[in-house]
Amino acid sequence: MRAIQFAAVALGASPLGSPAAAQEPAVTVVALPPMTSPDSGTQGNESLGVAWEATQLIETDLRQTAELMPLSPNRKDYYSYPEVTAPTFSKWRDRGAKGLVTGFVQQRSDGRYTIGCYVYDTEKGRELGRIGFVAARNDLRRAAHKCSGLAYKALTGSPGMFDTRIAYVAETGPPSARVKRIAVMDSDGYDHGYMTAGDTTVLTPRLSPKGGRLAYVTFQGGTPQVRVVDLGSSQQRPLVPGNAMTFAPRYSPDGSQIVFSMMLGANSDIYVVGANGGMPRRLTTAPGIDTDASFSPDGRNIVFESDRSGSQQLYVMNTDGSQQRRITFSQAAYSAPEWSPDGNLIAFTWRFGDTRRIGVIGPDGTHEKQLTAGPADEGPSWAASSRELVFQRTDASGRPGIYRVSLDGSAPRKMTIPQDGSDPNWSGAMD
Amino acid sequence: MRKQILLLAALLAAPAWAQLPGLRARQPAPPAMVQNPLDLLRADFAVQSGGTTIYFTPGSVGLTQQARTILAAQAMWLRQHPEVAVRIEGRGDPTDTRDHALAMGAERSAQVRDYLVLLGIPSAQVTAMTWGKERPGPPSATTTLQELSGPALIPAAG
Repeated sequence: MRAIQFAAVALGASPLGSPAAAQEPAVTVVALPPMTSPDSGTQGNESLGVAWEATQLIETDLRQTAELMPLSPNRKDYYSYPEVTAPTFSKWRDRGAKGLVTGFVQQRSDGRYTIGCYVYDTEKGRELGRIGFVAARNDLRRAAHKCSGLAYKALTGSPGMFDTRIAYVAETGPPSARVKRIAVMDSDGYDHGYMTAGDTTVLTPRLSPKGGRLAYVTFQGGTPQVRVVDLGSSQQRPLVPGNAMTFAPRYSPDGSQIVFSMMLGANSDIYVVGANGGMPRRLTTAPGIDTDASFSPDGRNIVFESDRSGSQQLYVMNTDGSQQRRITFSQAAYSAPEWSPDGNLIAFTWRFGDTRRIGVIGPDGTHEKQLTAGPADEGPSWAASSRELVFQRTDASGRPGIYRVSLDGSAPRKMTIPQDGSDPNWSGAMD
Repeated sequence: MRKQILLLAALLAAPAWAQLPGLRARQPAPPAMVQNPLDLLRADFAVQSGGTTIYFTPGSVGLTQQARTILAAQAMWLRQHPEVAVRIEGRGDPTDTRDHALAMGAERSAQVRDYLVLLGIPSAQVTAMTWGKERPGPPSATTTLQELSGPALIPAAG
């Protein structure tokens, strides 16, 4: 786990209150005056510079969402320190803003900064939440992401996905000799790094919920097998001992277990094992291929794909393997399901003929909806907000890239990564 | 130390693209200059058994009659060469999803392995793995000879 260099500090007495959830799908306009500073003189100018950087980071975060629309901050609009905690609500109401984010940056004697931010409802004229950090200069970006996350949660009711990580398979080289490496980056594209060297084919990285550990599939031993790596120490180990083929790992919502598939003979079934080891427990016994299992966020159910009916369809079962029930009934194939963090939807890859698309469906099999048009989209993974997904799209020339798509029906957006990418996976919020 | 030697897949008539008129009539290319004894074995295996690649119908793991014919010839050759180990590499469908393709490739290679074992080949002489859709090409399973190894894997008698 990457060391977290900033510490949350209490701001005043009141803890974060219960968020006022704005449930209507309309975009919420958010005022974002430049963050300010109580420092004076040269130190004050420095602090204002840091504060402006943080303001811009928050603006970028909020602008990425489909739910919030920040009013562009103007550096020349000086915002006073007392106004951070006593804003003039009418001023922002008049500009159409329902939400308001204010904040300050203050230098400390140890060279670090105290960073505070506050979220308000301008219509009700009341505070929705506050959060504060002591952070080193190079942790400013993460502190700003935490502020963005607070604003998003307070104004939409959903957890933000700004301080999260995305793992994927970086692909280079010609199609006949593809080099694949596991890559991990922050969801804003920073802190990009490679976890494997590229000498062995690797697949399907899956982050632990808080992003500190990673399970993936490697061909190093000659057959696909799941390995688990600690991203802080880089220590690795096989998920289970032995030579059996293991694949399709996913963490449980609390990170304590990993559900995966194991091939015995010509039969693939679903197993669960402790994230730190132990004896695997078998959950399915049907002939054919049962794979791509994913826990519900309450940890009580598992969705998976099975071709026991003749084609790949989605099934839900209890976490002990009981009460297996089919939820998709269609001539198309349904595969690679992932349960949303809020529990309401299951994302999947829809396949008919050679066309692959991303879709979502309720856990009871209702409210099915396609989010992308294909023709070669696969492998969806949810953002912590449950309102957005990453997936892999292969273009007409056969090159895979990583895209984000929102549930609101807007067009998918390609993410900027240093090379081709496949098998993306999005973590929950980091500590 | 076992080193893996790749065999050139001889073209079979199973997939549609291989049935193009020009391709069907073509004879296999003459073997290149052979220096290594294993290369000789590879070439001999491919010629005697009629091919090293078993093709599958997309979405299917079942062996066709044609596949069984080739595998019977492969088994005959392997019984005559109990000192040679083979590795079956299964491939999934390129348009399948990642993990299902892995499992399909594993099932295909297991079907091939099991049929060879059914024909009397010792299971220790045959290993099976899958590439899923990590190697381009049609759904198939390729039988690959491995370098003559120490006694570890190969039983003394077929």
